[in-house]
Amino acid sequence: MALGSAWQRVSWLYYQYLLVTALYMLEPWERTVFNSMLVSVVGMALYTGYVFMPQHIMAILHYFEVVQ
Amino acid sequence: INHIVHNGGLYKRPFNEAFEETPMLVAVLTYVGYGVLTLFGYLRDFMRQWKIEKCQNATERDEQKDFVPLYQDFENFYNRNLYMRIRDSWNRPICSVPGAKVDMMERVSHDYNWTFTYTGRVIKGIINMGSYNYLGFAQKEGTCQEAAAKVLSQYGAGVCSTRQEMGNLDKHEELEKLVARFLGVESAMTYGMGFATNSMNIPALVGKGCLILSDELNHASLVLGARLSGATIRIFKHNNMQSLEKLLKDAIVHGQPRTRRPWKKILILVEGIYSMEGSIVRLPEVVALKKKYKSYLYLDEAHSIGALGPSGRGVVDYFGLNPEDVDVMMGTFTKSFGAAGGYIGGKKELIDYLRTYSHSAVYATSMSPPVVEQIITSMKCIMGEDGTTVGKARVQQLAENTRYFRRRLKEMGFIIYGNEDSPVVPLMLYMPAKIGAFGREMLKRNIGVVVVGFPATPIIESRARFCLSAAHTKEMLDTALKEINEVGDLLQLKYSRHRLVPLLDRPFDETTYEETED
Repeated sequence: MALGSAWQRVSWLYYQYLLVTALYMLEPWERTVFNSMLVSVVGMALYTGYVFMPQHIMAILHYFEVVQ
Repeated sequence: INHIVHNGGLYKRPFNEAFEETPMLVAVLTYVGYGVLTLFGYLRDFMRQWKIEKCQNATERDEQKDFVPLYQDFENFYNRNLYMRIRDSWNRPICSVPGAKVDMMERVSHDYNWTFTYTGRVIKGIINMGSYNYLGFAQKEGTCQEAAAKVLSQYGAGVCSTRQEMGNLDKHEELEKLVARFLGVESAMTYGMGFATNSMNIPALVGKGCLILSDELNHASLVLGARLSGATIRIFKHNNMQSLEKLLKDAIVHGQPRTRRPWKKILILVEGIYSMEGSIVRLPEVVALKKKYKSYLYLDEAHSIGALGPSGRGVVDYFGLNPEDVDVMMGTFTKSFGAAGGYIGGKKELIDYLRTYSHSAVYATSMSPPVVEQIITSMKCIMGEDGTTVGKARVQQLAENTRYFRRRLKEMGFIIYGNEDSPVVPLMLYMPAKIGAFGREMLKRNIGVVVVGFPATPIIESRARFCLSAAHTKEMLDTALKEINEVGDLLQLKYSRHRLVPLLDRPFDETTYEETED
């Protein structure tokens, strides 16, 4: 099943993430704390980017005098 | 950068030692991992302090809370928060003889490694890549075992005295003559414990007003002995002859620190094989320097005796040097001979002096008789005096195993430190989570390895250390290599970029540039 092998691949990538950030050694509740903080920070960054991206792009284009 | 050594013909064979540099990305990620663990360590300590969580490690009593804190330094922090989490990779209880295959008791922990319980099951037939069993003499049947059993029924197990009082058996005299003959020195003395041999005899040889030049990565027993002696200690960079020569020159020219008097003695402390790096000492150059600057050499052959050299007589034999050039030859019987204890060999006057003035000889109990017999039988086997070629076959098997294993691991793409001929093979892991993961995954696949982390190695250079043995057959090595390959792919351990910069040992000429990195 393509879905099965994709799930295996994602599971292996999650395992690599656990090893590199040393979450592998932490208890499950500590992993939850770290993952939720990471997801919330990344989520906030993405949301801010989404909200302000049009204004930033217009400012850059205005600076380079591409659009008035 | 190619390091060229103009050896002037000191080396009779190529000296291939390489320490590949840590890749930058891996170093950064390792620090990230340690950062996360440190933050969570602070969080857990905070919770333990404010009683949100039950404190399971040692703390001071309530009456002692106002005294100097005992458990606040970095080592205790590391112990509580990093070591405890992966503690199940160490202190594993084995329940059979530690030969090529070993049995282990299975244990589980229900509270994240603070306590262990045994399930009662015994895991049989684990391939043992961690025991210092270089020539395979850790056996429970064979000539060594029979001889030791006979001596046990004759002399018993306990000696109940020190060497100087009533503990000097005829077996000890026989062993010392044999050791002296094996090493090629005039006389030798043996002690019951290898660590105590170093730490108790260096104070007898040097004292205040003497200078000790010790390698950066010397073992704790040498460091302890040097500190106990009261001599001035100066450290030279690991296996770096330019650093050693600079220190010797400074010592001769400037003398003692304030009075400028000449040093009474200069003693160079080196080891044959360094067990954490797998590197071999550059003995021909050290001996040449020693003779030029008229100092003394103390060689600790704990891992190299029996394991190096065409006839198994250690690093002096490996380089083809004269044993009389080394002033104090020290070694242990724990590694290649399957027994316990240590020895010191040298000139007759030196050994007679040590018999009276060494702390070990005066205060420590002498070696137990069955252990002595095990050493005698195994040493005779290596020398070939028991009439068979078993000893020679073992030495050759170990050399073949070493070359094969190291070559295969390098081909797979792991970073391996050390000299090509050393049976100690460190495989770099770097990241803290991979230390625990490697130990556990290898145990799942029935291979027992030793993983080493912070206090014994620098904090980012954690490693797994394989000790090869003449008892390993090619099939066992192939199985082990296949599993290491699988675990390496699973954990992404193949960091090597084949940027090996081999240390050149021939004169610099116009073709030298072609051998650089790929």
